[in-house]
Amino acid sequence: MEVDTASSANQAPAKHVLPELEIYCYLLVLLFLSDQKRYNEAKACSSASIVRLKTLNRRTLDVLASRLYFYYSYCYEITGDLAEIRGNLLALHRIATLRHDELGQETLLNLLLRNYLHYNLYDQAEKLRSKAPRFEAHSNQQFCRYLFYLGKIRTIQLEYTDAKEALQQAARKAPISARGFRIQCNKWSVLVRLLLGEIPERTIFMQKGMEKALRPYFELTNAVRIGDLELFRTVAEKFATTFNTDRTHNLIVRLRHNVIRTGLRNISISYSRISLEDVAKKLRLDSPNPVADAESIVSKAIRDGAIDATLDHANRCMVSKETGDIYSTNEPQMAFNSRIAFCLNMHNEAVRALRFPPNTHKEKESAEKRRERQQQEQELAKHIAEEEDDDF
Amino acid sequence: MDPKLTEVSQQFGRFKAALVRNDFSTCTTLLSQLKVLLTEFNSLPPLFEETPNAVHELTLARDIYEHAVILSVKMEDQDAFERDFFQLKPYYTDAGGCIPPSPQEYPILGLNLLRLLVQNRIAEFHTELELLSSAALENPCIKHAVELEQSFMEGAYNRVLSARQTVPHETYVYFMDLLAKTVRDEIAGCSEKAYDYLSISDARQMLLFSSDQELAEYIKEEHPEWEIKSGSVYFQKAKESAPSKEIPSLQLINQTLSYARELERIV
Repeated sequence: MEVDTASSANQAPAKHVLPELEIYCYLLVLLFLSDQKRYNEAKACSSASIVRLKTLNRRTLDVLASRLYFYYSYCYEITGDLAEIRGNLLALHRIATLRHDELGQETLLNLLLRNYLHYNLYDQAEKLRSKAPRFEAHSNQQFCRYLFYLGKIRTIQLEYTDAKEALQQAARKAPISARGFRIQCNKWSVLVRLLLGEIPERTIFMQKGMEKALRPYFELTNAVRIGDLELFRTVAEKFATTFNTDRTHNLIVRLRHNVIRTGLRNISISYSRISLEDVAKKLRLDSPNPVADAESIVSKAIRDGAIDATLDHANRCMVSKETGDIYSTNEPQMAFNSRIAFCLNMHNEAVRALRFPPNTHKEKESAEKRRERQQQEQELAKHIAEEEDDDF
Repeated sequence: MDPKLTEVSQQFGRFKAALVRNDFSTCTTLLSQLKVLLTEFNSLPPLFEETPNAVHELTLARDIYEHAVILSVKMEDQDAFERDFFQLKPYYTDAGGCIPPSPQEYPILGLNLLRLLVQNRIAEFHTELELLSSAALENPCIKHAVELEQSFMEGAYNRVLSARQTVPHETYVYFMDLLAKTVRDEIAGCSEKAYDYLSISDARQMLLFSSDQELAEYIKEEHPEWEIKSGSVYFQKAKESAPSKEIPSLQLINQTLSYARELERIV
C-alpha cells in the first residue's frame, strides 16, 4: 500500500529486535515527521505502523499502540482525509475490544467520535457511543475528551442538563496546560448554560489566558442577560465568523428563543399591567403582525412557567401576578438539595480517584481479595459507627 | 447499454407515468419491483463498486428513490417516507463525489425536516440540521423548515400558520396541514393557562375554527373541563386542580436518609 522505503527498511530487522522497540521507533519517526510538518510522509509512516501493529498481539504494546493510534488519526486530520480511515479505526477498535486492550479501546473510541463529529455525523457518533463497551477510565486525558464529545452530542440533541454536566466536568478535569481544550469546553458550556436559561458567572470569562477567546461568548451572554433582541442580533452578526469556525452557529440561532424569554421576564417583573403592543415594541419583534405574535409568545411563556401572569384578550394586555414569597414554596429546599448532592458527589469521586488501579498481572485473584477486603472494611465501619452511637 | 439498466429505466418510465396519473396501487407494485431490480447493481450503496455504468446507475437509483419519497407523501404514508428517505440519504451524503447534485435534494431534505418537526422529533431535527452546509441553510426550502421550527419554539403560532401560504414546494402542503393540527393543540394548551376566559368568537378565531359548532365539538372531545357560559369559554376548572399544598413527605424522607448514609461514609 503506502509503505515507503523508510518504513520497509525498518521492517527488515524486525525479526531480531523486540516488537516494543520497533513500535517505539515508529512513534519517534512519526513525531519527527509531524514536527517537521511533512504530513504526507507521516501519513505513510503511520499507515505502515498500523499495518504492523495489527499483526502483533502483546499486552506490553498497548500503551505505545494507543499513542500511535492518536498520531495516525492526527496526521489524517491535518491533511483533511479523516473519512478515509474511519473503517480502519472501527476495525482497530474491534481488535482492541477482543484483546481486552482497554486503553486502546478508550483511545480509539475517542478518535472515532472525533472522526464522526468532524463531519457533523452526530447520529452515528451517538449510536457508536451508546453501544461501545464502557469501563472505568484508564487515562484522564482520554476521559476528558470523551466527556467533551459526549457533551457536544448531548447539546445537539437538546439534552442540555446532561450536556452541561459533561462539559463542565471535562473543563474541570482537563490539565491546566491544555488551554485550547479548556477554551473549547468553556465555549460550549457557556452556550449550554445559556440555552438552559442560566447566566454564567463573569469569572468564567475572566479565566487566565481565555479572556480573548471567550470575548464573543461574553458579549453574547450579555445580550441574553439583558434580553435585547436587537443587541443579540448585532453580536451574532459581529462575531459570525468566529461562531462559524467554532461551528456553534446553529446553537446561537436556538438562543433567540431564550433572549425573548429573558426580555419577557424582565417586562413581567417591572410592570404589573402592560399592553401587548408595548410588549411587542419592547421585545423588538420584527414581524408583520407583532401584537398577535406577542400574545402567543406570552401565552406560551406562561404555560411553560417562565412568567407568572395572565392575559386579557379583550383589553389586549398582560397582567402580571404578584410575585409570591419564594420561601413559602419548595424551591429553596430543592436548591439546597441539589447543592448537597453536588458536594457529596464531589467527595465520593475524590475518594474514588485516590484508589490505585489494581495490578494488571494479578488482577484475577486481587479482584476477589479486594471484594473481601472491602466487605471487611465496611463491617468495620459499621461496628465503629455502632460503637459511636453507643457512646452518645 | 447494459440490458439490466434498460429494463430498470423502462420500468421507471412506467412508474413515473403512473405517478402522474396518481395511480397509487400501480405505483407501489412497480416500486417494489424496481427496488428488487436495484439490488443487482453493485455500484450502489453500500458497495460503491466502480463499475463502468456506475454514474448512470447511481443517478437512476437516486431518481427512483426521490420519486419514491414523493409517492409516499402523496399517499400520506409517514413510515414509507422515513424508509425511502433513509434509502435515499446515502446518495446525497456519500455519492456526492461521483454524480452531479440533484435539483430535488434540498426540497426533499426540507421535507424531511418538516416531517421531524410534525412528529415532534426535535432532537433528530437538529441532528439533521448540523449536517447541512451554510449554503444549504440559505436554500428557501430548508430555510422554510428552519424558520418554522424557530417560530414553533418561540410560540409565534400565527407565523407557523401563515407559512402555509408560502410553501416552497407543493409536496409540503400535506405536512403543513398536519402541523396545523399540532399547532391548534398547542394553542389550546397555552390559552388554558394564560387566560381566565375568552369570548366564543375570539376562541374560535384563535383555535382556527370556521364555526362555533366545530369549536363546541372540539371542546367536548379534547377539553371537557372547559366551561361554556354566557358567550364565553371559561378555563377556571383546568387551573384550580393544578397547585396542591401538600408536603412532599416521601421525597423528604428519602433525601434525609440519603444524607445520613453519605455522612456516615465520610465520618
